[in-house]
Amino acid sequence: MSDTAMSPANGVATSRINWRLIVPVAVIALMVLLPFVVGTQSYLLGIAVRAMLFIALGQAWNVVAGIGGQLSLGHGVFFGVGAYGTAILFNSLGLTPWVGGVLGAVASIAVAGLMGAATFRLRGVYFALATVAISLCLEKLARHFIGITGGDAGLAVRFIGDSLSAAQSRSPLPFFFASLVMVVAYYVLTRRLLRSNFGYQLQAVRDDEEAAAASGVPVFRTKMWGLILSAGMTALTGALYVQFYLAIDPGAAFGLGQAIQIQLPSLIGGLGTAGGPVIGGAIMILVSEVTNWLSARTAIHGLDILAYGAILLIVVMFVPGGLLGRTRRGA
Amino acid sequence: MAQDEVLRVEGVSKVFGGLKALSNVSMSVKRGEVVGLIGPNGAGKSTLFEVISGNMRATAGRIVLFGDDVSTVSPDRRRRAGMSRTFQKVRLFESLTTQENIAIAAMQCARSNDDWRGEVQSVMERLKLTRLAQSYPAELTLADRKKIEIGRAIVGRCRLLLLDEALSGLTMDEADELVGVVLSLNTELGVTIVVVEHVLPVLVSMAQRLVVLNFGEVIADGAPREVASNEKVMTAYLGSKRGAFS
Ligand SMILES: Nc1ncnc2c1ncn2[C@@H]1O[C@H](COP(=O)(O)OP(=O)(O)OP(=O)(O)O)[C@@H](O)[C@H]1O
Ligand SMILES: [Mg+2]
Repeated sequence: MSDTAMSPANGVATSRINWRLIVPVAVIALMVLLPFVVGTQSYLLGIAVRAMLFIALGQAWNVVAGIGGQLSLGHGVFFGVGAYGTAILFNSLGLTPWVGGVLGAVASIAVAGLMGAATFRLRGVYFALATVAISLCLEKLARHFIGITGGDAGLAVRFIGDSLSAAQSRSPLPFFFASLVMVVAYYVLTRRLLRSNFGYQLQAVRDDEEAAAASGVPVFRTKMWGLILSAGMTALTGALYVQFYLAIDPGAAFGLGQAIQIQLPSLIGGLGTAGGPVIGGAIMILVSEVTNWLSARTAIHGLDILAYGAILLIVVMFVPGGLLGRTRRGA
Repeated sequence: MAQDEVLRVEGVSKVFGGLKALSNVSMSVKRGEVVGLIGPNGAGKSTLFEVISGNMRATAGRIVLFGDDVSTVSPDRRRRAGMSRTFQKVRLFESLTTQENIAIAAMQCARSNDDWRGEVQSVMERLKLTRLAQSYPAELTLADRKKIEIGRAIVGRCRLLLLDEALSGLTMDEADELVGVVLSLNTELGVTIVVVEHVLPVLVSMAQRLVVLNFGEVIADGAPREVASNEKVMTAYLGSKRGAFS
């Protein structure tokens, strides 16, 4: 990715402070301080990990769907392959998740390649439908091959206690920092992507495929690399997810609910923006904590889904581009 | 083949279902020419552009660009080889600024030592778009949107430019300005141009040669004067039998 920044200030203000970075830097600083404020065993850290895993999935999906305009409903596939792959390799071969996660990502990228080759000749809604079909197939497979996947009940990662090499910990603290690093890395990557040639290719394809081709953009290849990058990011997040929860099941991995949840942070926060999935994901987790608390009190289940739906509806009606609209793409 | 032949269309046909939009069309364009492509609505002008640019594959026939048969080459590669086009209905990247719209094409077509950033700036100056560099297409007038599309088309070593109804929908003044810009591309940058345009007097003032399509067939090809007095052309433009262009 060559740096192709084209903002008017480019090259002029390099030595001065970039004020636009104040908010992200402040947020990161506050997050780093959080464990010292709330305590390293606090349940709040667990919530933060949940939020950041969720945000990271949103960031990964945003690359191909938000920036590249390819509305995948099949990201559960990449997530599931990353999570199951890491867990299976550890349980059956004792392979460290540090390697297992990377292999999961590689497998996921291979799946993305096949998926792209099969579906990128299709456009719009057909692409989305094809991706749904593929994830439903994998869900069936995961339920069927009980010996490998644990079937409907899912898979529990063999717990061996605190261990760096097994990437396991009783405390949420290591996961807090791991997921924070992941979210920050994905954020930085998205920002850079938006200003790179590849990012512009993705955006051109999203806006108008034929005009993109007429401008020299290799459309198929652009979609393919976008999906591959996004799949790799999703799978790595799946690997971290399964280390934190120590469990994965077919619904959580490949279910339609998961596929839809992956999209919500970007849709609410701002499709195709770097900050959108972060803000959107944070809002959703805050809301879900409140609704879970309410659900527990009122014995009404599914309030979180209801709230997500309501938020999405409000956003779509009043701020269609998401909270960070198009023009603040770089935010 | 002639060294200075930029484009050759050889026996091209294009069928949509039962409709023959192009039927055995042949034509040739030399380096430096400005050729007008005319014909009644539905004659196949835009379809011919689609086939030349590679957006559609011809049902039969060959497209030779800069001496190479590109009939099976993708549209993005034809663009990088130096062939650009605009669309009858302007198509821009709506979520990107004027400058970004133009820069995308410049980036795709640049070779390693090209100063594509500088080129984007100079093209925006040429088209008087510099003050709109950070604007989004939706905020702009049709004339400016057309200029952005032309800017996007000419950056990155464009040698052959296909303009589909470059002037339609513009006011007289806007059209005049754009004609000037387009001609300067030809005279100053040496870009070869094929232009579709319905306002014939304007076209006659721009083009050295006219190619006339009717029902997917080339019915005339020659200097504007000859073409204007061609009988087939007069019949094709019913209602103006006395001379198609007056
Ligand atoms: N994608 C398509 N599918 C089916 N038919 C098409 C398609 N594109 C064009 N046509 C038909 O092909 C014929 C030629 O259309 P084309 O757009 O090339 O004409 P044109 O000369 O550009 O006309 P106009 O001056 O109205 O732009 C028309 O009958 C049109 O309806
Ligand atoms: Mg047309």
